[in-house]
Amino acid sequence: MMQKSDYKNMWVYIEHDGKTAAPVGLELCCELRKLCDTTGDKLYAVIIGDLPHEEVDKVRECAVDGIIYVSGTGYDYFNTDAYANAFTVLSRKYNPSAIFVGGTINGRDFAPRFAVQLDTGCTSDAMELEYDPETGDIQFIEPAVGGKIMAVITVPELRPQVGTIRPGTFKYAPAGRKAEIEVICEEINFDPEAIRCKHIDFVPDDLDPELDIANADCIVCVGNGLKDSEHLERYRELAKLLGGKIGCTRPLFDRGILPYKLQIGQSGVMVKTKLYISFGVSGAVNHTAGVDADVFVAVDKNPDAQIFNYCDYGIVGDMDTVCDELIELLKARQK
Amino acid sequence: MLKILVCVKQIPDVDLVKMDPETGNLVRAGVPTLTNPLDLNALEAAVQTKEKYGGEVTLITMGPPMAESTLRECLAVGGDDAILISGRPFGGADTLSTSYSIVKASEMKGKFDLIFCGKESLDGATGQMASQLAERFDASQISCCYSIENVADGKIRAVRALEDGKETVEATLPCLITVEKDNFYGRLPNLEAYLGSKKAEITTYTENDIDGLDLNKIGVPGSGTIVPKIYPPELPEPGQIINTGSAKSDAQRLVELLAEKGSI
Repeated sequence: MMQKSDYKNMWVYIEHDGKTAAPVGLELCCELRKLCDTTGDKLYAVIIGDLPHEEVDKVRECAVDGIIYVSGTGYDYFNTDAYANAFTVLSRKYNPSAIFVGGTINGRDFAPRFAVQLDTGCTSDAMELEYDPETGDIQFIEPAVGGKIMAVITVPELRPQVGTIRPGTFKYAPAGRKAEIEVICEEINFDPEAIRCKHIDFVPDDLDPELDIANADCIVCVGNGLKDSEHLERYRELAKLLGGKIGCTRPLFDRGILPYKLQIGQSGVMVKTKLYISFGVSGAVNHTAGVDADVFVAVDKNPDAQIFNYCDYGIVGDMDTVCDELIELLKARQK
Repeated sequence: MLKILVCVKQIPDVDLVKMDPETGNLVRAGVPTLTNPLDLNALEAAVQTKEKYGGEVTLITMGPPMAESTLRECLAVGGDDAILISGRPFGGADTLSTSYSIVKASEMKGKFDLIFCGKESLDGATGQMASQLAERFDASQISCCYSIENVADGKIRAVRALEDGKETVEATLPCLITVEKDNFYGRLPNLEAYLGSKKAEITTYTENDIDGLDLNKIGVPGSGTIVPKIYPPELPEPGQIINTGSAKSDAQRLVELLAEKGSI
């Protein structure tokens, strides 16, 4: 019977589309490098299917100790069956201590599945990773109960420890290439006929610039304080006057007022912007974790709202009134 | 006839849950509960599928006895019968053990062709249950389903909403589906179903009622993860609050500050 100390090294799955590596895999390598330096584990990147050389170079630059290349049948398009199987087969052979997968739609689709195949614990959406030397467990620290509390989650007995992490949670800061990088090649064939959910086709979404807010210069973010969709127009006008775009928090998406692509935060889009102005946003950690702003302004009627802890400038007041005043002032300035 | 299962969860209103600063425990007592909103989208997808292709919809949940109200609420929208898994030993379960309990309990009612789930719950929000259920059902899975194109000949064709586009897939039954709300907005209960739901018989299973249930795989013993600690998030120091006496002058001051910073 294996002890948990028999499981060594940490793996990061490098999600890719055959052309480029998704940023989240690289971000995870950078963060896990630091954790592995603490634990003494080696860091391996797992690449399934062909990825161009220059993209693999980006992985190498993240100071990985090794790369596991998986080839074989069944990987032409993402499918849960073949990808989950690949990790189960690999994990049983090499017994890693932890496996990290980017919390993309497909990452969240297959990682919990191979965790069941391996009969082990799976966590999602950690914002910090720490190591407890006493237990040898990773502490997955994540917001819970709508962002009111932080919860420490561990996998105390089982291995590997599986975690999905949202894109943008960790910084891409490559530590530089190691002099020696171990190369492991594994052929794991999955019968394409045995894939139970088959890819038929893919149609890219039309690019709507208003829905592309990740790097907008200015974002006017509207939160649950909004009374109804009829009150939304003034915020659109303010965003326009500021040369910016409108975004929202999760409740507005849940209420069907704005589309998911405008939802800012850990479970939506992570934004980097020069000026961010929130109206009627309470300031749950899940939301603020997704905001990287040079200047952060918050407007809310509740003086105790957590959002004021994140802002540079705050106004306590009625969101609609303050917005209208700002519109008047900006119009006057532009004349 | 399609046998359809819908997994639902009763959750506390997370806006009202507080943490006891003394004990560090979550205070749930007296907090109102609701049916996880995304599960209502799953129910809608199941009911639409039944209406179009025929079938029978079974609801399942796990929780304390009061979770029965969530099942009745869902039955009022659509659903032919309902299962409540309830008992102390099931408590404290993570997704690894909850998925096991749900699959074992549902097997008491036979094999299901389609299983619908919400994408995640607003309280736990791991989003892991669906994939783990699919694995335990030995089913194919279609996550983030945007629309269902066809169900025929032991297969389902559907469209998934990915980050940057729509993927059409075809999966064999049994298949587990998590839904996007775009085309599956929950409907209001109809009067007849609502009245029926009040009297409907709900099958309740305790740990003693489920065939072949391994007690080591349920509740806390069956969980892969634990939560050794919770704490309030560390908040940064508050920013500069502009308080000049009126909204007009506050806005004026803000514009000045932003202009000084070069932000506007």
